[in-house]
Amino acid sequence: MKRSVWLVALLAFVALALVACGAPAAPAGPAGEAAAGEAAPAGGVMTDVGTPRSETLIFQTFDRKAANPDQMNPLMAYAVWRGFRELGWGYLWETDTGTGESYPELAESMPEVLNDEYTKFRIKLKEGIYWSDGVEFTTDDVIYTLDAYFDGIGKLTNGNISRLTNYIKSYEAIDKYTFEVETVNPAYDFTTVMGVYTWASAFIPVPKHIFEQEEDLAAFRNTYPVTLGPYFVKEYDPNGFWQLWELREDWERSAWGWMGEPKPKWVLYKDFGPEESRVLAFVQNQYDVDTFMSPDSIKGAQQRNDKITTFSPKMPYHNMDDACGYGVLMNMHKAPLDKPEVRWALALSLDLKDVGINSVSGEFKASPLPMVDTQILRPIYFDPMIPWLNEFTLADGYKPFDPDFGSDLVERLREMGIPESELPDTPEEISTNFGIGYWKYDPAEAEKLMASVGMNKNADGFYTLPDGTVWELELVIPGDWNKVMQRVGFSIADSWRKAGIQVNARQVDNAEFGNVQNTNALLTTMLNWTNCIFTPNYLNSWFSIAPEYIMEPNSTELITGNMWRWENERAFELIAESKTMPTTDQRFRDIGVEVLKEFVTDMGYINIMNIPTTIPTNEYYWTGYPKQDNYYAVPYSWWSSAKEMVVNVEPTGMK
Amino acid sequence: MYVRQRGDLRGAPLRLRMEPPMGLFQYIASRLGVYFFVLFIGISVTFFLPRFMPSDPIENYISQLQNQAGQAMNPDDIARLRTTLAELYGLEGSLFSQYVGYLKRVFLTFDFGPSFSSFPRPVTEFILQALPWTLGLLLTTTTLAWLIGNTVGLLAGFFHNKRAATVLEVIGVTIYPIPYYILALIFILVLAYIFPLFPLSTTIRPGPLTFEKIKNILYNSALPALTLITAGFGWNILSMKSLSYATKQEPFVNFARLKGTPPRTMMVSYVFRNALLPQITALALSMGSIFNGALLTEMLFSYPGLGLLMRSAVGSGDYNMLYGTITMTIIAVATATLLIDLLYPLFDPRIRYR
Repeated sequence: MKRSVWLVALLAFVALALVACGAPAAPAGPAGEAAAGEAAPAGGVMTDVGTPRSETLIFQTFDRKAANPDQMNPLMAYAVWRGFRELGWGYLWETDTGTGESYPELAESMPEVLNDEYTKFRIKLKEGIYWSDGVEFTTDDVIYTLDAYFDGIGKLTNGNISRLTNYIKSYEAIDKYTFEVETVNPAYDFTTVMGVYTWASAFIPVPKHIFEQEEDLAAFRNTYPVTLGPYFVKEYDPNGFWQLWELREDWERSAWGWMGEPKPKWVLYKDFGPEESRVLAFVQNQYDVDTFMSPDSIKGAQQRNDKITTFSPKMPYHNMDDACGYGVLMNMHKAPLDKPEVRWALALSLDLKDVGINSVSGEFKASPLPMVDTQILRPIYFDPMIPWLNEFTLADGYKPFDPDFGSDLVERLREMGIPESELPDTPEEISTNFGIGYWKYDPAEAEKLMASVGMNKNADGFYTLPDGTVWELELVIPGDWNKVMQRVGFSIADSWRKAGIQVNARQVDNAEFGNVQNTNALLTTMLNWTNCIFTPNYLNSWFSIAPEYIMEPNSTELITGNMWRWENERAFELIAESKTMPTTDQRFRDIGVEVLKEFVTDMGYINIMNIPTTIPTNEYYWTGYPKQDNYYAVPYSWWSSAKEMVVNVEPTGMK
Repeated sequence: MYVRQRGDLRGAPLRLRMEPPMGLFQYIASRLGVYFFVLFIGISVTFFLPRFMPSDPIENYISQLQNQAGQAMNPDDIARLRTTLAELYGLEGSLFSQYVGYLKRVFLTFDFGPSFSSFPRPVTEFILQALPWTLGLLLTTTTLAWLIGNTVGLLAGFFHNKRAATVLEVIGVTIYPIPYYILALIFILVLAYIFPLFPLSTTIRPGPLTFEKIKNILYNSALPALTLITAGFGWNILSMKSLSYATKQEPFVNFARLKGTPPRTMMVSYVFRNALLPQITALALSMGSIFNGALLTEMLFSYPGLGLLMRSAVGSGDYNMLYGTITMTIIAVATATLLIDLLYPLFDPRIRYR
């Protein structure tokens, strides 16, 4: 027995030593910085990373665990979801998530257009912006970064290198704060390519004085980077579960110091585990802003902690202004999906009320159009479409649009026991919260459409192909890696099955998902996030509605756009025309409406809903998050909204 | 290959070897031959399997970019990116030439190349970073689960007609079928939420190994370890209980009892030692599979390790990372099997190589 005891002790020691060997040393922060947490208030709660909880804003990470946590070089494919885009980098122009408008960040103003062809631009930088190590940001950094992009072709892995080196023809510094750029083609989207569209910018300036010391920029990991934003990386987990940012002492001269003082001294991005355990941490006030928690979990958390709140106290409770929506892509080149009657039959066989209630507890905003129905896009593209949708008829004279979708959904939710106070009551409020309407759920009309192309139901009630065999439809959906989409996908399959369509819902991993999306031979139908359009510039997504993006039905060559495989000559012409004018032009927007009409007529794909951005916040330590009654930005911990959030939140005083 | 000797009383048919005896060195050489053959086959299969996965690291990255608002890329941009990545990742050339290069790298330098999702950092660096966590957690918990399970199983089997033995058996029967995920969630709920004795998720700060850090590591590892030990010892209880009960009925144990051997000696020296052999085999194989990591534990507790490394590699089509992690497992399991073959005689003196 003694030998066993010694054996156990020895193994425990070895185990400990092994674990200890795996823990790398923490590098020092910028000179003169105190170690995280040294200024802890007496008696206050400390975070696991040694900072006072009352001074630390904590976000659940968007991507859970980072695969490459020490890769902080923006010239490479880097650990992007750790706050770099939000807190660390600086951009020439940023996008206001409340309005969709671009505004200057590093640039002093919007670019000056130097020729009628819209290919030459002069950019003036703000003076007095400094990197976090005290070196001033100038055109030298901009030119060096562009040089690095062009010199790095074939060596650097960030996809934007390919983008920008095909986009820019030449560039030159004019003086310390001014530079000019010439693009290959007319560039009406200059501010959203060289600056931020929504998600990020293709151009991320790097500090010349740091990068020029490196011989091999591809091998340079830029760990603990010098930043332009008001925060710097204080500490990170080499295993990729968390990253801690600390406010620069000179935050006022950072890229967006002019926005005001960020309130949290520290911002921590941390993965609190799968939803089952994450919700417990949220209830224990261990973090402040979650990312895509399921409605059930949010309700459970709210019942145990009244400091946990959603975007709105009214259904659907969450902000629905994400750039992307969910929709069912269909390979329109494969029979029988090549027939609009079949695509419309699928749309009319989809009971979206049921799908939304079953998968996301009714907390969703429907959109029948191939773009998200947001506060920004509603007045420009949705409102002009409503009269047309009301009158729109299929070839047989049937009117498929149901403007009462929202009010009927409210009625269903009322019957389910949702308190009256949590339901929108006026038609305007219903429309704002649940959308302008959706396609009717009408299996009888679907059956009629199917019959018109020789597809009838057999004795078992399933649709058959014209040759009499049962039509087996594959619907590819995400597996566990996107649980909301997984639920929505299964609900859609269920709805279709009830309508007589033999559906095989196939869950795939995220790696296979991309392959199915991009390969005609692999795609029949799939639930995907579609048409990420956030600003009125739809070309960001629709640029690929052009003949050169169309592939053969069973092509194994990968498509590079137009994931929805939509082929429509009129739409091709309209999109080509839209590329010849500024995106603020009224004609540009009118074209957008015309394209939407073509898309609906063809049923290009079945758009379903805005992505329900279920992002609850915990107001125990911090308050002032973006809410429906305090809407200064979308309430996301990513995009520029995170910048506005750190400036606008206030400590509650809880220690 | 081993043979049972005269005097083996455990019921297996006695085999008398008629063929010429094999020398010890000849035996070891043949085992090593098999060992390297298994490694070659395993490593070759490892090369080809990920290539047949319906995913591609380059397309995976490109589709991620395409799905991000503001990342519109035209066909020229994407063609250039594809060429660049294929060249950098070493995915150009025929599959056969890639295979030959892979074998050379693995067998000659144990180099798996760069990780695609964190290019150009070598896969080996990731493995070496994750390995200590996996080994630390799983070596400890596998060993403890084995020791506790077998001790409890021995007591339950040897004293099978005692009420306490039944209780012990019930514990094993109750715990064993509970799915690990559920068991771990119960532990989390009770010991990290209702009674917050342990953290809900792991947070270990980088830095030199100080006493404080060691305490922190132990504190963060305690709950994952507890769940793994609890989940692991149920099977050991049940199997050792059956083995020790069966062994106790053997004639040589009856003979010892009739001879007046004390129960403790009988339990430890007669029953336990004889029942131990299959358990040692199971332990060795468990040790080999440690290199798979403990995916569910790592996911639930945000604990670092090889399991999540492998999972991420599958999700992103990171072939090289998959090669590295799976090859580690193949080598570990094959080595454990080899060692147990070579070491059997030390555990059971009835076994002799001729």
